[in-house]
Parts: sequence; C-alpha cells; structure tokens
Amino acid sequence: MEAEDAQRSVEDASTALELASASLTLARRFAAGAVMWCVAPQWPAHGRHVAVEFVHPVVVGKRALPAVHLGGPDLRGALRLLSRPGDVLLAVSSADDHGTVDLLRRSEAWGLTRLWLGAGAPPASGLAEHVAWRQTPDAAYSGDIVLLYHLLWELTHVVFEHPGLVDAEPECTEQVCVTCADEGRVAEVRTVRADGTAEVVVGGVTETLDVSLVAPVLPGDLVLAHAGVAITTLSGTGP
Amino acid sequence: MTRDPTGFLYPFIESEERDAPALVHDLAASAQAKMADSRALRSATLERCEARVVQAGQAVAQRLGGGGRLLCFGNGGSATDAEGAVALFRNPPAGRPLPAMSLVDDTAVLTALANDVGFELAFSRQIIAYGHAEDVVVGFSTSGDSVNVLRALEEAARRGILTVGLCGYDGGAIAVSDAVEYCLVVHSDSVHRVQETQSALLMQLWTTVQRCMDEGISA
Repeated sequence: MEAEDAQRSVEDASTALELASASLTLARRFAAGAVMWCVAPQWPAHGRHVAVEFVHPVVVGKRALPAVHLGGPDLRGALRLLSRPGDVLLAVSSADDHGTVDLLRRSEAWGLTRLWLGAGAPPASGLAEHVAWRQTPDAAYSGDIVLLYHLLWELTHVVFEHPGLVDAEPECTEQVCVTCADEGRVAEVRTVRADGTAEVVVGGVTETLDVSLVAPVLPGDLVLAHAGVAITTLSGTGP
Repeated sequence: MTRDPTGFLYPFIESEERDAPALVHDLAASAQAKMADSRALRSATLERCEARVVQAGQAVAQRLGGGGRLLCFGNGGSATDAEGAVALFRNPPAGRPLPAMSLVDDTAVLTALANDVGFELAFSRQIIAYGHAEDVVVGFSTSGDSVNVLRALEEAARRGILTVGLCGYDGGAIAVSDAVEYCLVVHSDSVHRVQETQSALLMQLWTTVQRCMDEGISA
C-alpha cells in the first residue's frame, strides 16, 4: 500500500509538471489568437466537457476562451478545414486510438500545437508537445481524466494572471528543435504534380517538395520532408 | 463560498515578470495538491455513500432486468457527465451492455423544447415522451438546484420511474425533494471536485448494477 502511494505520488508529480507546462503553452497560444479544437473520438463526452469548461467557466469573472469540440464521422476533414496554423489540438483518447494518432500527426503538418490527455498504457513520445496521462485502466470513467482537464483549465487561467509570461515567446533551448535542427518534418501532400514534385503543407505553410523518392504519393498522404525532399512516406496514412 | 482556490498564486502580478520556470513550478505544485484533494474527496465520498450506492444499484438492476431503460440528463458539464454515464452503461469497457439513453443528445428536440416551452421543461417533456414506469432516470446537477433537472425528476416520480440524483454542495433542492429516491450528494463547493467525484460515484453505481445482474442471472 505504501509502495502504491509512493508510485502514485511520482506519477502525480510528473503529470502535474506536464499539465503546468501545457498550461503555459496554451495560455500563450490563446493570447496569440488560437482556437483550441477538442477531439475525443472514443469518449465524445470528454471532448464536449473540456470545451465547455473553457467557453463557459465555472468561476464567475474568468474569461471565456475559444474551445470547440469536434465530433462526427470526418474529424480529419473538419479539422483540416477549420483549423489555422497556430491553433491548438486537444485530444483525449487512449494511446492506441488510430484516428487520434492520425490527427495528431497531421496536426503537426498543419502547424497546430498538440496537447494529448489520455488513459491506459502511455503513448510513444513525439506525437504531441504535451502529454498528460493516467495509467489506471478505468481513468476515463473514474473522474481521473476529468481531473486532468479541470486542472488544465484552472492553470491556464492562473497563467493569464502573469501577463509578462503570457506574452513571452518560448525560446528554442531544446537540444533537438524541429525549427532549427537538421531533421525531417511531417508534411501533408495537397496536390501531386506531373514533374515529380508536390504541393505540401508543412508546419502550416504550403511548400513545394520533391516527391520522386517516395512516388507514387496521393493527396492526403503524410511524408517526411527534409531539405525540400520527401524522404519517406509515413506508414498507415492516406487521404 | 466564492473562495478562489488559486488565489494564493495571484499576489505577485507583474507585467514585467519573466521567470517562467518559477511559475511552472508553482503551477505543478498546485496541480499536485489538487490531485490529492480530488482523490481524497472521491474515496471519502465513495465510503460515505457506499450503502446508498449499493441500494440504488440493486434497484437500478431490478428495473433494467425488468425491461427498463436508463435515462440521463444534466446541464453543461453535467450534460457531458450524463452522456458519459450513458456511454458507460451502453458501451462498457467490460461486462454487459445495458440500455441507456441521454436526454441531451438530440439538438432538434432540445432546441425545439427550449424555444417553444422553455428550458425548464427540456427534460421533463422528454420524460413524458419516452418514460415508462419500469425505467430509471439519473439527473446530474452540481448545485442541486437546476430547475429543469428537478422538474424531470418530479415528472419521473409521478410516473413511477425510479429516480436517482447526483448533486454537489449541500444537494440543493434536489436533495430535499420527495421525488428523488436516491440522492447522492458530494459535499464540496468546488464544481470541479464535485464533477470528478460524481464520475466516481456513477462508476460505483455501474459496478454494482453489473454485479447484481450477474448474481441475478446465476441465482
């Protein structure tokens, strides 16, 4: 029992830290005009709940923030049409929900900042800027997941009380930074041309990419772009 | 009752502030304390309500076993809690699926009722339309005072439907209503902690219903 408590305390501490830095990111994105798009294909109730928290705060006097739940059969198409570079995607899911994983990968190409809250076995790293997870199997029903987004909402509003920090753009201090370092970036193919190039979206910006190495590609495919060349197709993706 | 739980973080509001790591550290400490609060409230409430939840679970199992359905409703975050309850009963992660439906699902019905007869009757009119005596209704209201939730519980009681209420604070009007057979109250004045604990209570109710139905089948 004591070992269990100690383990839980370690998990709490790392989740709390993740939520704290996610809140700082989120407040900065909101301040810059972002919309937070909320998806939870397995548990739409969580997607709606987190959106209503931000739009209609329980604490009187807190500002309404633009959060929108997206559901329905074509989440990918809806998010592609509605989101703008700089917006935020908040996903609530288990790590093995393929639809959510696909949205997270594409969102990188679309230039969205990604927050991922979830339950069960934790996901592989690299699919979202911030990941806050509860590993208890019933977390989606026990109130644990609800607690995660309640805290995200509350901490985001605390950040707004520190305007000097909201306006500060985060500096690139990571050892590997996709903006500065020499590494591949996820790109979504929009139009394939006959000359072996394609118009793609990468980081929310439209670019032309040499796709001759990965041909044939179709609109909607995700490729890894490096120095103007698509070096590989990302598996399990397509229009 | 308007105590701001984050107030202690506010005194040093400075527009020139630049120490992000210090803020993140404070936020994380606050979040971790809230996690402990939430967990403590949930386990204390589950313990305090255990006997009531078991009784309610047995009664719900009896209704559902007799062909009844579970109808769930609430407003705002409580609407999503109702929706989550329906998902748990109808598409459970384990155990048997049970017939449950949400009265916040259909935007045509909700907006028609809100526009034509007022939001106070948004759920009670649906009880009149869909409810049968063998059914169960579960109303969620963190304040315990949501008028449309109370009206629906009263309408259900008049029709012999089993009524369950999930409330926060002191339980409000729902806790003292004769129309509510099982009222589970989360004693907290934080809407967030109430909602987290209501989820835990609902899951406990669902667990009891599943167990009762298993025992009913094997008996």
